[in-house]
Amino acid sequence: MAEMWINMGPQHPMTHGLWNLRVKVDGETIVDAVPEVGYLHRGIEKLCEGKTYTQVIPITDRLCYGSSMTWSHLYCTTVEDLMDLEVPERARYIRVVAIEMQRIASHLMWLAAYAGDLGMSVGFTYTMRDREVFVDLLQALTGARLTYNYPRIGGVAHDLPPNFERDTMRALKYMEMRLQEYEDLFEGSKIFMMRNVGIGILRSDDAVNLGITGPSLRASGVSYDLRKDRPYEAYEDMDFKVATHKDGDCYARYRVRMDEMWESCKIIRQAIQKMPSGKWRVVAPRNGPVGTGFGRVEDPRGEGTMYVVGDGSDKPYRLKIRSPIFVTVSAAPTILVGYKVADVVAIMGGLDMCIGENDR
Amino acid sequence: MKDKGGATAGQALMFRSKDFLKWSDETMEYLLRKSPVGAGIDLVTKDFFNWATRNSLYFLHFGIMCCALEMAVASAPRFDQQRFGIIPRSSPRQCDILLVNGPVSKKLKPALRRLYDQMPEPKWVVAMGECAISGGPFYNSYSVVPGVDQFIPVDVYIPGCPARPEALIDGFLKLQKMIKENKKGLLTGR
Amino acid sequence: MSEGGRANSAGARDMETAPSRIDANPEDRVLRALAETFPKGVSDGEKVRPGLIRARVDRAELYSACRTLRDSLGFEHISMISAVEYDNRFEVVYHISSYGSRLVIELIASTPKDDPSVDSVSSIWGGANWQEREAYDLMGIVFKNHPKLERILLPKDVMYHPLRKDFKG
Repeated sequence: MAEMWINMGPQHPMTHGLWNLRVKVDGETIVDAVPEVGYLHRGIEKLCEGKTYTQVIPITDRLCYGSSMTWSHLYCTTVEDLMDLEVPERARYIRVVAIEMQRIASHLMWLAAYAGDLGMSVGFTYTMRDREVFVDLLQALTGARLTYNYPRIGGVAHDLPPNFERDTMRALKYMEMRLQEYEDLFEGSKIFMMRNVGIGILRSDDAVNLGITGPSLRASGVSYDLRKDRPYEAYEDMDFKVATHKDGDCYARYRVRMDEMWESCKIIRQAIQKMPSGKWRVVAPRNGPVGTGFGRVEDPRGEGTMYVVGDGSDKPYRLKIRSPIFVTVSAAPTILVGYKVADVVAIMGGLDMCIGENDR
Repeated sequence: MKDKGGATAGQALMFRSKDFLKWSDETMEYLLRKSPVGAGIDLVTKDFFNWATRNSLYFLHFGIMCCALEMAVASAPRFDQQRFGIIPRSSPRQCDILLVNGPVSKKLKPALRRLYDQMPEPKWVVAMGECAISGGPFYNSYSVVPGVDQFIPVDVYIPGCPARPEALIDGFLKLQKMIKENKKGLLTGR
Repeated sequence: MSEGGRANSAGARDMETAPSRIDANPEDRVLRALAETFPKGVSDGEKVRPGLIRARVDRAELYSACRTLRDSLGFEHISMISAVEYDNRFEVVYHISSYGSRLVIELIASTPKDDPSVDSVSSIWGGANWQEREAYDLMGIVFKNHPKLERILLPKDVMYHPLRKDFKG
């Protein structure tokens, strides 16, 4: 049969951000795939060189807008490593609460888009409704719905609002009830299971070599989570399990993310109960020292790292951002070969791509 | 009846199929768009078509950046733009509105212009968020076009970074009001 | 030290965890192994903080040093490849991490200003492929033996490298 190249994108409902996937098909089976990115390139790394250290924080928010708290937190961690700052206890716990809430909201957003793409619109409406609960909590905490601008170099911007602990506990109880309902809803749907089980298998040594991190790596059997293995902020005091699955197919990735939502609920509960009192911010010096700083966090999509070079002035000399999705998209050809064109949506959607951090 | 094609109806019956199609095309074009028949139809149905258009605005399912998430949330149960008749469609040939919701990079510019050209008339463009209005936080970047109205004519601007879903629905309602006040007929354009 | 459920590249893992009872500090062990294998190529090895070590490597020995890191020292995952421009040189900084011993090594290779090129490590780690393309696209560093060194983020017909200090955008 004749082979031909099909262009999926840049405007395509499954893309969640703009990138182009050119698949070479032989009939219905995929033979090769070439992703093209760069439609969202804004030149953030060059922009950051003209702004002071604090002015960069809203820009890093807009790197990955699905989970913007983790990116500004990563930037603050990197600069604190450069400046050798010690963050107070209360700020570390507040950061953990904010990051885990953001993780739940990000996974719910992923689930909404994934279910919507696979045809289950009821999944879209239910998860969006529950995501609003956490977006409301984060709006009470930070003042914004999507790009929060909350972490600061040396702590967080302001303290917890009144009644925050009570509202959070209520939300967690509601969420755990909902998570049980989602599991029944999705796993009880024959079509969802047929479109996910056995599709897009990624072996563990392929995943490690190609640099894939995060839930996609844990779904292939490698149990590596930066929160457990290289703990940062207050994660050493938290008791939680690392969600893994051994199959490496789309169902495994879905399962890992659902388990991560359960674990995040546990972490938030513990952090609220153990929260110390005290200062929530130390004032950072205006000028950064000459040197380099390196930071790594566990983003909902994988391992995000940043490398900052300071030259003594109040603006960073060079800021390099590594996004987990950049490496995952480059692994698309390995995962897609051999499946049908209709599976592209399930496979690429299951990798949870947020193209904002890809293109910077 | 003589018309622009220069042939009478009698002669039309003796055409070959290709010429017949061309003649009938030109006849209908004249009837509907330039003659008093078209103006009469317009007078009767203008308000009805206007009401139908503004209450079922379909926008293109095209998300660029952060404001795209707020666009998705506006379809969610809490803000629910479907009660106004606003539904996203996947193909540009079926849409009325091009909703630009993010910074337009220089690599994206030709693709966006092509999408705009593929949409059939009548069409409107809504610029959502600061990045589409003027470049937003990235206005002085080397690879961002400062504002989408540099190459596409825009009808409604919705400010915000990101624009809240309520602001998006408010923008659509303003567009509906704009369409209501547009008294031109669809057929003749007068 | 290794628990059930870790990735199973069995040979490198056992060889690496067995001597850990002799040398209590995995960071020092890696630094010493590198210094012994490449006495002239690797220099300035130091432990920055628990879990992060740093070393400078000569760009001619970069490929063999990376091969040693992956094959016998158990560094299976390349985290980040950054390119920095200073006044008199370019530096390519590799952050490579190990799942077994939970370390990150920061390898810094310098190149002169008029010949910014290093060997590509994309045949060692597949994850380095796109990162090197991005360093080429934005900073202009040429990676020798890269399978497909083209522009990735900017349009293909652009002539400049935006992250260089002499580019005013």
